[in-house]
Amino acid sequence: MVCIRKATVNDLLAMQACNLFCLPENYQMKYYLYHILSWPQLLYVAEDYNGRIVGYVLAKMEEETNECHGHITSLAVLRTHRKLGIATKLMTAAQNAMEQVFGAEYVSLHVRKSNRAAFNLYTETLGYKIHDVEAKYYADGEDAYDMRKQLKGKTIHPPQHHHHHHHHGGGCCSGETKGNAKA
Amino acid sequence: MGASLPPKEANLFKLIVKSYETKQYKKGLKAADAILKKFPDHGETLSMKGLTLNCMDRKSEAYELVRQGLKNDLKSHVCWHVFGLLYRSDREYREAIKCYRNALRIDPENIEILRDLSLLQAQMRDLSGFVETRQQLLTLKPNHRMNWIGFSVAHHLNSNASKAVEILEAYEGTLENDHPPDNERLEHGEMILYKISLLEQCGFLERALGELRQKETKIVDKLAFKEQEVSLLVKLGHLEEAETLYRTLLSMNPDNYSYYEGLQKCVGLYLEDGKYSADQIDQLVLLYETLGQQYKWSSAVKRIPLDFLQGDKFREAAENYIRPLLTKGVPSLFSDLSSLYTHSGKADILEQLILELEQSIKTSSQYPGSTEKESSSTLLWTLFFLAQHYDRRGQYETSLSKIEEAIEHTPTVIDLYSFKSRLLKHAGDLNAAAAFADEARLMDLADRYVNSECVKRMLQADQVDLAEKIAVLFTKEGDQHNNLHDMQCMWYELASGESFFRQGNLGRALKKFLGVEKHYADITEDQFDFHSYCLRKMTLRSYVDMLKFQDQLHSHPYFHKAAAGAIRCYIKLHDFPPKSTTEEDEHMSNLLPSQKKKLRQKQRKAEARAKKEAEEKNEELNSSVVSKSGKRPVKPVDPDPHGEKLLQVEDPLSEAVKYLKLLQKNSPDSLETHLLSFELYTRKRKILLAFQAVKQLLRLDADHPDSHRCLIKFFHQLGSMSTPVTESEKLIWSVLEAERSTISQLHEKSLFEANNAFHDNHKDSLMHRAAFAEILYILDSNRKSEAVKLIEDSVNNTVPRNGAIGPIGEWKLEDCIAVHKLLGTVLVDQDAALRWKVRCAEYFPYSTYFEGRHSSASPNSAFSQLRKNSENDGPNHSVDNQNVGSTTSNGRAFENLTIS
Repeated sequence: MVCIRKATVNDLLAMQACNLFCLPENYQMKYYLYHILSWPQLLYVAEDYNGRIVGYVLAKMEEETNECHGHITSLAVLRTHRKLGIATKLMTAAQNAMEQVFGAEYVSLHVRKSNRAAFNLYTETLGYKIHDVEAKYYADGEDAYDMRKQLKGKTIHPPQHHHHHHHHGGGCCSGETKGNAKA
Repeated sequence: MGASLPPKEANLFKLIVKSYETKQYKKGLKAADAILKKFPDHGETLSMKGLTLNCMDRKSEAYELVRQGLKNDLKSHVCWHVFGLLYRSDREYREAIKCYRNALRIDPENIEILRDLSLLQAQMRDLSGFVETRQQLLTLKPNHRMNWIGFSVAHHLNSNASKAVEILEAYEGTLENDHPPDNERLEHGEMILYKISLLEQCGFLERALGELRQKETKIVDKLAFKEQEVSLLVKLGHLEEAETLYRTLLSMNPDNYSYYEGLQKCVGLYLEDGKYSADQIDQLVLLYETLGQQYKWSSAVKRIPLDFLQGDKFREAAENYIRPLLTKGVPSLFSDLSSLYTHSGKADILEQLILELEQSIKTSSQYPGSTEKESSSTLLWTLFFLAQHYDRRGQYETSLSKIEEAIEHTPTVIDLYSFKSRLLKHAGDLNAAAAFADEARLMDLADRYVNSECVKRMLQADQVDLAEKIAVLFTKEGDQHNNLHDMQCMWYELASGESFFRQGNLGRALKKFLGVEKHYADITEDQFDFHSYCLRKMTLRSYVDMLKFQDQLHSHPYFHKAAAGAIRCYIKLHDFPPKSTTEEDEHMSNLLPSQKKKLRQKQRKAEARAKKEAEEKNEELNSSVVSKSGKRPVKPVDPDPHGEKLLQVEDPLSEAVKYLKLLQKNSPDSLETHLLSFELYTRKRKILLAFQAVKQLLRLDADHPDSHRCLIKFFHQLGSMSTPVTESEKLIWSVLEAERSTISQLHEKSLFEANNAFHDNHKDSLMHRAAFAEILYILDSNRKSEAVKLIEDSVNNTVPRNGAIGPIGEWKLEDCIAVHKLLGTVLVDQDAALRWKVRCAEYFPYSTYFEGRHSSASPNSAFSQLRKNSENDGPNHSVDNQNVGSTTSNGRAFENLTIS
C-alpha cells in the first residue's frame, strides 16, 4: 500500500507540503535542507501507490552534547492514511539508522501533552518513556513531554526486522562541524 | 586590516571584525564609533560599520557608509571585500563577484576572499570559475581536507567526474595508513561512497565495485553500501549476486517498492509497460507467493500482483487483498487501488466484487463463503469504498446515496464527511462542498488536516475571508495571516490567489502569486550556506543532489501555477487597465513633455521618501523589540498587504514576460506555457515570438483544440494586417510564408479548409467542435448561427460499461462551463447560452454554475437542508469562540502525530 524509503532532496517540497497540511509546527525549506544535508540517512518518506508523499519522518543528531543521541524533529502521516502502521515503520527506520550509522545511545522527541494518539504510539508501540516535561514548549503555550528511548543493545525490534547490526565507535559526535546553516 | 591605525585603534578594529563574525553587532558598532571619533575618515572602519549596520537591517545607512569607506581607501582589499559582502547579502551576486575580484587584485592570495568568491561561483554555477578558484585555494593550503574535497567537487560539477576521482585519490595518497581516526570514520566513509558514485558515473563499473568491496570496513553507512553495491551488480550484469542482495535488502525493509522492482529485473521479469505474457505472469505469481511467505507483514507483496494479474485471477487476488482491509477499516483502501481504474476491465471487476461483498454483509453479516461474522464497521467501510468508486466513475448520484447510507450507519466518522465534500466538489457544488468540509472540521478542531481541507474547499468556493479566518486557527504569533506566508504555505497562497483572480481582485491575486514566486527565489538563496557546510560535513552525494534539485526548482508545479497566475493577472491588467491610472493618463496627456517629466520625478521622489520612512519605522520597531526580548526582530510591516501597488506597473505585459521566460525555460513541455506565450506576444505585436508559441503548441499536441485555435487565429490576424512596408517587415513576412508551407495542417489549404479538416477529424468531441465553431465565427462573423448550431448539435454520448447503474455522459463539467462561456461571451448568443445552461443542468444536477436541481442554488438541495439544520442546532461559521489551541480533542483517535 505504501512504500517506505529514504527521502531524497527531491522529496523535500512534498514533505513540507505534507507538514503544512496536517501539523501546527512548521518549518521553512531551509530547515529541511539543513536536515538532509547534515544527516541524509535519517529522513524517510511514505509514498502511496500513486507516488504521493503521505508521511515522513525528519530526524537529526544532537552533536553538541557528550552523549551521542538522535532527535525526532517531526513526524507526520496524513489522516487519510492512518491504520497502516506508517508512523511505526518510519520511526523504526530512522531509529535504526541513528543507531547503525551514528552509534546513537538514545533517541529523544517532544510531544504535546494533549496528543494522546501520538503519546500512545510512542509509549506502547515504540517503547519511549517520559524523561521530562517542558512547560509551555509550544508557541500556543501547551506543555511538551520530553520523551526518550534507549537504543544500544536494548532496542526492541518489530518481528519483521532481521537487522545485522554493525557497531562503530564515533562518527556522530565529532564536534568538528559547526553548523552555520542552521535555520 | 586596520594597518594604518595606532595600536589601540587597531585592536578596536579587530574587535569590530570579531563582533561581526560572532553577530555581536552592538559591540562592533561601539568599537567603530570609537575609532571614527579620532579618525572620522578611516575607510576600512567606515566600511565595517556599514557592514555591521547592514546586519541590523539599516540598509540605506549601510550602503552610504560602505561607499564612503571605499572612496576613502580605494586600495584596501577590506573595503572591496566588504562591498562585495554587502551586495551578496542583497543577492546582487554579479556585483559582489566584481567587488571580490577587485579585492583579489590588491591581495591575490587572500584565502577568505577566495573562499567567498568560490561560494558565489558555486551559487551562480560559474563552474569553470569555481574550478579555478578551488584550485587556487588548494595550492595555497594543501593541508586542508576541505580544499581537496572542494577541488574535486568543483571538477565533478564542471562535468569532469574522472578528474574529480583523480583528485580524491591524490588526497587519499596524503593520508596515513591508520586513517581515519575514530571521530572521522563516518565522514571518511561518505567520501569513499562519493568517490564510488563518481566512478559509477564515469562508467568504470568494475573499478567501482572493486573499490567498494575493498573499502567495505571503512564505510559506516551499511545501507548506502548495499544499495550502491546492488546498483553496480545490476549494471555489470551480475544478476544472481544482485538478486541475493535485493533479497537481503527486502528482509531489512519489505516495504520498499524499488527493491521488488530490482528483484524482478534480476530474474528477468520486469517490463516497463507491465504487459506481461501469460507465462511471465505465472512466474511472477510464483515469485510473489514465495515472497509473501517470507514477508508476512508486507502489504507490498500482496498489492503488487494486482497490477499484473488479469481476469479471474485478478478478481481472486483483489478479493483476498480487499477483505481484511475492509474488516480493519483502512480509509485509504480506495486510493490505494485507484490506479487500477486505468487498466482495462479492472474497474468493472472491482465494482461487481464490492457489490457482492456489500450484498453478502447486508444479508448475513459475512463475506461470501465465510463463516466468520463481520463487525458492523465492515459494512461502513464497504459503503465508503463504493461511494468513492462511483465518484471515480462520475456517477455522482449513486455515490452520494452510498455515502449518505454510510453516514446514517455511523454518523461519527470524519472521513465520510470529508469524502462527501470532495464528491460535491466533483459534482459541481462548491458551496455545499465547503459546508461539508466545515462539518468535518468541526468534528475535530485539534486536527489541522480537516482544517486545511475545509480552507481549501472554502477558497474553491470563493469564500476567501472565511477561509482565512479558519486557516489562522492553526498559525502562531501575532500577525497570523503572515505566518502562512512565512512558513511558505504555498498551496494556500495559490488557492487564495486563484480565488481572488476569479473574483477580479487582481491586486490581491498578484500579491499571492508573487508571494509564491518569492518562496522559490528564497529556496534558491537557501543553498548558499551549504556550499561550504557540505564540504565540511562531507555529505557530498546529498549536496550534489541538492544542486541538481535547485537547477530544476522552477519546474515544480507550484511555481508553474504561480507564474501562470501572475501572467494572467498582468494580461487582464493590460486588457482592462484600472480606472485611476487611465484618468491619470488623461491628466498627463494634457501636459507638455517637460511637465510630464517633472511630475514623474516628483512622484518618484515621493515614493522614495515613503520607502525610506517605512524603512526607518521598521528599524525603530526592531531596535525597540530587540532590546526588550533579545529575540529575533519583528517582521517588517508590509507596506502593500493588498497588492494595490502591484497594480500600478507601467507596462504589465513586460512584467508578464519576466515570468513567461521562467516558464519557457523550466516548463517547455507544458501546453499552458505556450498558450500564455501566444496571448502575451500577440498583445505585444511580436509576430515572430507569437509564431514560435504556435509552433511549440503544434509540437506538443497539434490536435488540441487550443493549438488549433492559436494556429488559425495567428494566420488570420496576419492576413488582416497591412502589407509590409519596411525591410524588416518584409523579411518577417517572407519567413512566415516559408514556415506556413511547412505546417501540415495548413498545407495547400485555406484557413476555412484547415478548420473544416480539423472538424472532420474530431467530430465526436465537444471541445473540438467548440474550437471549430469559434474559429468559423472569427473567420466569418456572418456564419455565427451556423457556429452556434454546430455546438448545440453536439451529442453527449453515454459511456459504455457493463453493469453500471444509470447512464453516464461523456462530457465533463468544466468543458460544458467553458462552452457556455463561449456561447455567451465570444459568440454572444444569449438565447443559445440559456438553452445550453438548461441542457447542462440536466446532465449536472449538482452544478451550481448551471443551477442544477440538486445544487445549493436550488431550495431542495442537500446543501440547503444542511443550512436549515445548522440554523437549528449545531455548527455555525463564527470562528471567534472556537479555541483550537486548547485540548478540544474529543477522544477520537487521530493520527496526526505532533512533534517538534
